[in-house]
Amino acid sequence: MSEFEKLKVVTGYEFLKHRRRKRLYWILGAAIAAELAVLIGLPALGEGYPDNIMRMAALLSIGPSFATIGAVFFAGDAIAGEFERKTGYILFPNPVRRTTLVMGKYLACCIAVILLIILGYAIVCISLLAIYGHIPIETAKSFGLCLLFAGSVLSVTFLFSSVSKGAMGATVITLVFIMVITSVLDGVLTMADQPSWFLLSKAGDSIVTVYGGYEIFLPGGMPHDLPAGVLEGPDINLSILAMVIYLVACFLLSLWITKGKQLA
Amino acid sequence: MREAIVIDNLSKYYNRFLALDNLCLRIEEKENVGLLGPNGAGKSTTLKILCGLLRPSSGAAYIDGINVVERPEQALSRIGTIVETPEFYPFLTPEETLSYLGKLRGMRGEELRRRIEEVIRLVRLEEWHAVMIEKFSRGMKQRLALAQALLHDPPVLILDEPALGLDPRGVVEFREIIEGVGKEKTVFFASHQLVEVAQICKKVAIIDRGRLLAYDDIAQLERKYHSLERAYLELTGDSHE
Repeated sequence: MSEFEKLKVVTGYEFLKHRRRKRLYWILGAAIAAELAVLIGLPALGEGYPDNIMRMAALLSIGPSFATIGAVFFAGDAIAGEFERKTGYILFPNPVRRTTLVMGKYLACCIAVILLIILGYAIVCISLLAIYGHIPIETAKSFGLCLLFAGSVLSVTFLFSSVSKGAMGATVITLVFIMVITSVLDGVLTMADQPSWFLLSKAGDSIVTVYGGYEIFLPGGMPHDLPAGVLEGPDINLSILAMVIYLVACFLLSLWITKGKQLA
Repeated sequence: MREAIVIDNLSKYYNRFLALDNLCLRIEEKENVGLLGPNGAGKSTTLKILCGLLRPSSGAAYIDGINVVERPEQALSRIGTIVETPEFYPFLTPEETLSYLGKLRGMRGEELRRRIEEVIRLVRLEEWHAVMIEKFSRGMKQRLALAQALLHDPPVLILDEPALGLDPRGVVEFREIIEGVGKEKTVFFASHQLVEVAQICKKVAIIDRGRLLAYDDIAQLERKYHSLERAYLELTGDSHE
């Protein structure tokens, strides 16, 4: 039996586990709720939908990108859980490489996240079509960037999961890293007028800034007292480069660490 | 007779703690050998190295002549294991779990389906075969652990306290199963239950502090020390347990 066949087996059963877990549906619910908040909240608050379709698309795209972050919750225990809950005593003494097991788990997480993102963007597209009669091409770019961001977030989660002793620790560390540490660093670097494209959270911003920079969220346009460039979104090409680096480097590191990890 | 398990000068350090100290042991094909020793003697460490869960600090371990460290996948394809009290994925049923593990071992279709039915019947989980494992008691998980160890009909069984968590009836049933399959397989199992070991095995290895103290037929040890219990107590007498 080839390792590729084993990879398909691992991916299939890992995905089955995700399908059976409530957290996948909680994340899906949260993503849909974020989109519904925009769709229902804007008219309910008397604002109505914005005239600019890009602004509406950017607001709606927050939902699926939120789902990407939520995916940390079911990827956090992918590796750490095998050691913490001792399911590794059943899984690891099988004639299958650890790298195949990790790859299968990663692919299963990817499939789950991709399905969440597809559902999220389907709502974005249907909403835009219903309200404005067309869908801007930037939505497709945002979708591609969201998929790439999901892959890189999963890789970072897998890395923390491979070094952590517990699943909860891996999940919390990943969330703190992505949502707190890199955001603080981004603020510091921006204030110091230094590049911050290499930060994952900054690269992830490209999912919504692809519609027209940060100023797309400011109905009154850019404030005059702000220096030029501050509200420009991250460079798309540099964001893609940063996300690819996180995706590849963190995943390879998690493979290497898990391969050498012992189950005492 | 061919050697099914060879433990060759195996040493294992956990940081500075020496858990195995140049342990040597050779188990022939279709031999049933019990591994005895007080807590912390190195029993689980030995079995975990044989199962590829731990790497030895020095020395080597072989299953059917295959080095466990150098060619783990080939060596592991020949063993069925129960290590400590194993846990299972709570959102899968026993049937799905066995199907997953069977497929990883190259089993497919009708052969896999038939074998799953056989082992589920053997460990008496027929009524629970389609129930999520999250609802299982410890004893039921232990039965499932035995089922997965026997699923692919491996020539070598490596079992670490396999009857732990079973009720008295379960312990008796378990012994009968191991006795039955042990006639055609090499069984190497660690236990604190001397009665259990004496019933299943012809030979025992007694270790303490990672060192081999005795490796002989139970009958020989009983002749020399009057009983297996006396042999165990005298040999491990200076243990700090």
